[in-house]
Amino acid sequence: MNFVIPDFTPAVPEMVLLALASFILIADTFWSERYKYATYYATQASLVIVGLLILFSFTSETAVTFNESFVRDAFADVLKLFIILVSIGVFLFSKEYLQNHDFYKGEFFTLGLFAILGMFVMVSAYNFITLFVGLEIMSLAMYAMIAMQRDSAKATEAAMKYFVLGALATGLLLYGLSMIYGATGTLTIPEVKAVIEAGKANSTVLAFGVVFIVIGLGFKLGAVPFHMWVPDVYDGAPTAVTLFIAAAPKIAAFAIVYRLLVDGMPGLVVDWQQLLIIMAILSMVIGTVIALAQTNFKRLLAYSGIAHIGFLLLGFIAATPEGYSAAMFYVLVYAITSVAAFGMILALGRKGMEFDQIKDFAGLNKRNPWLAAMMLIIMFSMAGVPPFIGFYAKLVVLEEVIAAGFTWLAIIGVVTAIAGAFYYLRVIKVMYFDAPEQDTPLPASTRELSVGVSVYSLSLLVLGIMPAWLMAVAYNSLLM
Amino acid sequence: MVALSDYLIFSAILFTLSMAGIFLNRKNVIILLMSIELMLLAVNTNLVAFSYFLNDISGQIFVFFILTVAAAEAAIGLAIIVLVFRNRKSINVDDLGSLKG
Amino acid sequence: MTFEQLIFYILAAIAVISSLMMISVNNPVKAALWLVLAFIATAGVWITAQAEFLGIVLILVYAGAVMVLFLFVVMMLDINLVKLKEGFIRYLPIGVLAALGIFALMYMVLGPNNFGMDVTGEPVRFDANHSNTTMIGLALYTVHVYAFILAAVLLLVGIVAAIALTIRRRPPHEVKYQNIDKQVKTQARDRFEMIKMQPVKEKPVENKKEEDE
Repeated sequence: MNFVIPDFTPAVPEMVLLALASFILIADTFWSERYKYATYYATQASLVIVGLLILFSFTSETAVTFNESFVRDAFADVLKLFIILVSIGVFLFSKEYLQNHDFYKGEFFTLGLFAILGMFVMVSAYNFITLFVGLEIMSLAMYAMIAMQRDSAKATEAAMKYFVLGALATGLLLYGLSMIYGATGTLTIPEVKAVIEAGKANSTVLAFGVVFIVIGLGFKLGAVPFHMWVPDVYDGAPTAVTLFIAAAPKIAAFAIVYRLLVDGMPGLVVDWQQLLIIMAILSMVIGTVIALAQTNFKRLLAYSGIAHIGFLLLGFIAATPEGYSAAMFYVLVYAITSVAAFGMILALGRKGMEFDQIKDFAGLNKRNPWLAAMMLIIMFSMAGVPPFIGFYAKLVVLEEVIAAGFTWLAIIGVVTAIAGAFYYLRVIKVMYFDAPEQDTPLPASTRELSVGVSVYSLSLLVLGIMPAWLMAVAYNSLLM
Repeated sequence: MVALSDYLIFSAILFTLSMAGIFLNRKNVIILLMSIELMLLAVNTNLVAFSYFLNDISGQIFVFFILTVAAAEAAIGLAIIVLVFRNRKSINVDDLGSLKG
Repeated sequence: MTFEQLIFYILAAIAVISSLMMISVNNPVKAALWLVLAFIATAGVWITAQAEFLGIVLILVYAGAVMVLFLFVVMMLDINLVKLKEGFIRYLPIGVLAALGIFALMYMVLGPNNFGMDVTGEPVRFDANHSNTTMIGLALYTVHVYAFILAAVLLLVGIVAAIALTIRRRPPHEVKYQNIDKQVKTQARDRFEMIKMQPVKEKPVENKKEEDE
């Protein structure tokens, strides 16, 4: 048997990230007593290092290595860069919160880094085994991060709920993958594609497997009817962790949907398209309708997140390269927006007080006009009001779905988007027109947080004025 | 000779039982976790049988990784259950009232 | 029916019956034990499919380690058994119907139509001295080496997570830690003190060796 040492160079960012994460894991036990923030700064520094590595070694060529277990292409690089960009914000906003709630621990940051490594593996997975292992690295780290506030009954219950449903989703996904393996005889994504396109596999078995795979992915994405964990977990988890699970993992989930359904099974598009249509309609309608009734801001964002996932799926339903690019653009915009939105809760929260009810925002304009303006940008962007970037995200997805001939789906999308605008506008109304409970000024808990939230919020406006750049990134990485 | 369909139907029975177990024991988190282990067992049986009939070792490698992951997952799941029990003195899902879908 | 089929059906029947018991018994300890039996029988089924290594790993890792972990946790927690079973009877009819429906659907796909012996052909049989472990090892350390390293990362995450979640540092006065620096620096006078006292005549001690400590 001949064994050729695989080419390691495409995987250098992953290797560096793993080395740094392991180093921080060990170093944390030594330095955490003397320098409280050392782990935090080391985490941010490693993210920056890995980000720069990816940026400077960026190529548009596709490199496949480790016997077709690993792929690095422009798609993977762009998603990884955005995962880094979003995660830097997540850790920045978390630091203060963790301290105020007495669970500032080095493990939060190391597990976070490992979760990011898992996302990288998912984004670059080119066979079912690495895809699955990457997914599990991310999920296990996230289960633990949710439960890390150990004395909070709410957080541990949320962790349990997330764990049980996550494990169930994994089981279903694996059952589907085993069927695809049985029908095609291979675990490698490009080979699966080749076998299916050659028509050598039993189509009934393939369709059967696809059903399980789509259900498993639906759970992971949080699409209706597999969404029941989303609001509970968003609400129950400590806000810093909610921020973490609401942003970057969505990008990674998008990546595995793309790798499995588009890279692996384009031949089965009629099978998964129908399932996705059902999930997209239900997610948009139910997410929007239930969000209208929420009084808790975290739950509101959870349901609006479900509706956003419905929009994201529209891009897949279009089943054209342009449609996938639109979906990619959508998920990147969504990740940045949710970092800004949850960051706002963290910035305004205080020790012993979460700023997570909609009524907490009452009269924010009088108490802190600058952050109220930032919140206005975030809400308008989520609602899809021009000229903010959220508008273009919705626009391109709808365009592509119409171009693919699903005008009726686009109409449902527009109707839910308009209905959805109502609850975002309600938050704005509360901020600007309701009387505050207290008139005292409410500065952000630290200057760092105020600046961070402002940067992320203003980026929504800047990107909205010049959407061409981000759109070009999303389109070029898939169409090249 | 045992046919591939026999292996697959055996695994389908295990899978169905695990689904029924999840549906019927919604209150009992421990049995819920065990049902999920049973579901993974069904998946693994599928993969082993396919690997045997395809004469392809990669199916067995996949099983190897699923076993590894499931063991780590069970450890974390049980750690979370212990935490819930410490906070609540109960693992009955109905007593966990603070979160309602 | 050949001998091989007989073995397969017996093991499959044991596994199915014990899984059925697992989901229907009341007591989590019993459920765990039934699940162990199901694992062992399934391991036998895998061995009939020439997956000897995995069959043994299943028994060692699952029956031996994971289920013991389950039993530990079940016995550590004081679980109210009566409450856990509420709703079981109420949902039973729907549950059975749904399960039968799912199974019928699966049978149509997975049954002899698509996977009968005439469709798949006979599997390749290896000689008695064929090593399944060698084959897995060769593939694992060459083709799948990336996934293998990732599995190590995953186990590391598992360790970190489980410890971070459950370790309880008790306050220092409750637990006695060993301080090696202090032990090494200790001198005789810290431990041994000469005191002066008047000579007294002691009563002879009666056989009370237990109290000598």
